[in-house]
Amino acid sequence: MSAEELQIVWFTARVATLSTVLILPFGVAVAWLLARRDWYGKSVVETLVALPLVMPPVATGLVLLKLLGRRGPLGGFLHEHFGFDIVFTWRGVMVATAAMSFPLLVRAARIAFQGVNPRLEQIASTLGASYARVFFTITLPLAARGIVAGALLAFSRALGEFGATIMVAGNIPGKTQTISLSIYSLVQLGHDREAFRLLIVSVVIAFVVVWGSELFYRRRDRA
Amino acid sequence: MNLRLQNVRLPLAHFALELDAEFTGQVAAVFGSSGAGKTSVLDLIAGLRHPQSARIELDGRALTDTARGVCVPTRQRGIGYVPQDGALFPHLSVRHNLHYGAPRHGEGGGKSKFGHVLDVLEIGDLVNRRPQSLSGGEKQRVALARALLSSPRLLLLDEPLAALDQPLKLKIMPYLQRVRDEFRVPMIYVTHNANEVMALCDEVLVIEQGKQIRHGAPGDLFTVSDDPQFVLRNGR
Amino acid sequence: MRKMLAGHLACGVLCFASAMPLRANEVRVAHATELNVYAAASLSDVLRELSVNYEKQTGDKLLFNFSASSTLERQIEEGAPADVFFSADEEKMDALERKGLLLPGTRHRLLSNALVIVAPTDAAWQLTSVFDLTNAAIAHIAIAETQSVPAGIYAKRYLSKLGLWDKLADNCVPTENVRAALAAVESGNADAGLVYQTDARIAKKVRVAYAVPVAEGPRISYPVAVVKGSKAVDAARRFVDYLRSDAALQVFRKYGFLISAEQH
Repeated sequence: MSAEELQIVWFTARVATLSTVLILPFGVAVAWLLARRDWYGKSVVETLVALPLVMPPVATGLVLLKLLGRRGPLGGFLHEHFGFDIVFTWRGVMVATAAMSFPLLVRAARIAFQGVNPRLEQIASTLGASYARVFFTITLPLAARGIVAGALLAFSRALGEFGATIMVAGNIPGKTQTISLSIYSLVQLGHDREAFRLLIVSVVIAFVVVWGSELFYRRRDRA
Repeated sequence: MNLRLQNVRLPLAHFALELDAEFTGQVAAVFGSSGAGKTSVLDLIAGLRHPQSARIELDGRALTDTARGVCVPTRQRGIGYVPQDGALFPHLSVRHNLHYGAPRHGEGGGKSKFGHVLDVLEIGDLVNRRPQSLSGGEKQRVALARALLSSPRLLLLDEPLAALDQPLKLKIMPYLQRVRDEFRVPMIYVTHNANEVMALCDEVLVIEQGKQIRHGAPGDLFTVSDDPQFVLRNGR
Repeated sequence: MRKMLAGHLACGVLCFASAMPLRANEVRVAHATELNVYAAASLSDVLRELSVNYEKQTGDKLLFNFSASSTLERQIEEGAPADVFFSADEEKMDALERKGLLLPGTRHRLLSNALVIVAPTDAAWQLTSVFDLTNAAIAHIAIAETQSVPAGIYAKRYLSKLGLWDKLADNCVPTENVRAALAAVESGNADAGLVYQTDARIAKKVRVAYAVPVAEGPRISYPVAVVKGSKAVDAARRFVDYLRSDAALQVFRKYGFLISAEQH
């Protein structure tokens, strides 16, 4: 692989990892709320979280572009007060991949939490544990495997993201070009062989990650 | 013990649980057939369920008082709970399960109490095992020990022997009696088995379809025989 | 039994209903020809206006596919059903001609264009010369993809000629076609953009910060031709001839296109 290809793969892996790490605490919190609590407007939140999974990725990307562009409510604020941009930068890639992989993480984590017997949490309570202690010593450890599997799935989704990424971050070689975007560009230019090389890399990565995720699920079931 | 359940009302699936009773014995039974609402009584006392209305008082201190908006959180009630299946934490060893509710400070007293409880329930050689590898009887004893080690003011037991076969029931019952006699912790014991009531309890509350129909000493309410039957004096 | 019958009836009605529109279309096509015109993105507005008149005059229906000329070339090579190809540079046309995909004798050099540097209307900075693009305030320069899209190739050629390409390459945001570059500037997400003067004319939210003099800029050429695999060759020829007519050239001029010397 050439230096450029290595840079693209490395960039994609880094951004996908960062995006997954960032959505992890937020996704776990939302998943727990959806699994264990009922509140007014819960179904709205459920729907919003599921939207990026169901909407066309470019549509999600368009929404993000409008929000995060220099004239958008959030992007404008950041540009004026902090002087940084999200659109056309690696941050845009991260936001796009985070948005698209978030629902996958929440879905998996929610199922993991729902699989924890609430009786165990109740007993922990009778033994004097605070809500935080119950969560960190009982709920989270028992849901951990499912959450990790969900994180791996979210990571692999982030690796392969295209539609939202190209909308929000553009396709700038060396700056925001991920593996998927690069394959697209190479095909446009007629460089099919290079495109194929990257395609294989992306398949191998996806295979390893999903396989790892399956292993985690299976270990959880056996335990 | 000194446990008061006043004007308790909790709507359940098919009927409402309504109670008004005061427990003064050492071990009080809540007796009734399956689905009578017995587990819900324990959940209310432990603060795991919230009644429509109730005033629940333990040793003079109000745990729940819907009229005044009082509801002490479960973790502050100091009430131990041994549920039907033991509910041991599967990801922790027996030792860590046992230590979960024990107070951190006071190592000296802690260690000897730890040893004492393990002796009484004879679970000393189980401490390094995992809950999944324990038998039904072993799980119940560990669950009981775990609750005892949190130094509860009241112990709730939800049909602890229900899942065990008759020989095992006969084997475990002495442990319960030992707990009663050695640790002198007041207990509320839920069961549908009259034998257990006769063997362990000095007070029994009979409920059916959520309503209490009798409250008194087991001897007054059960005919004594090899297979005790609950018989209502003066008919229904 | 009744339910099953109702179900079958409903299915039947649906099948019949969905087949109906197709049959209506078939009747229409018998009288009019549909032409697939694959044209550079920068031609979208002017061709749409021309098509209104053309369709009224001839009854033919024009179906446009506007995209970067490089994308269109690729599609035609892969067998897309184009009848007419109107490219923004000669290279794409050459590539198709080499592969024998053009109908001989139908290729004509039609238009030219000029490059401009645009900025969002609310941008504060000014350009006295193109070298001011290196100004630190200009962080993102939108430009069509420079390896294959004509507008990008022209722009890079121009900047390279001035020795500015190396300095500005880092700030460039390559887009899929020239209209996407325009949109990036319009949205305010790019500080500046290199587009055709014809794009700047129809855009509402940009101003021209610098117009590249035609003599200094790259040689831009828009050829048009009939595609060999066309199923409506006569209608395609008719349309190409129309594009070369005085009436059409007038409209092109109105939009800011320059007319190639060959047409005069």
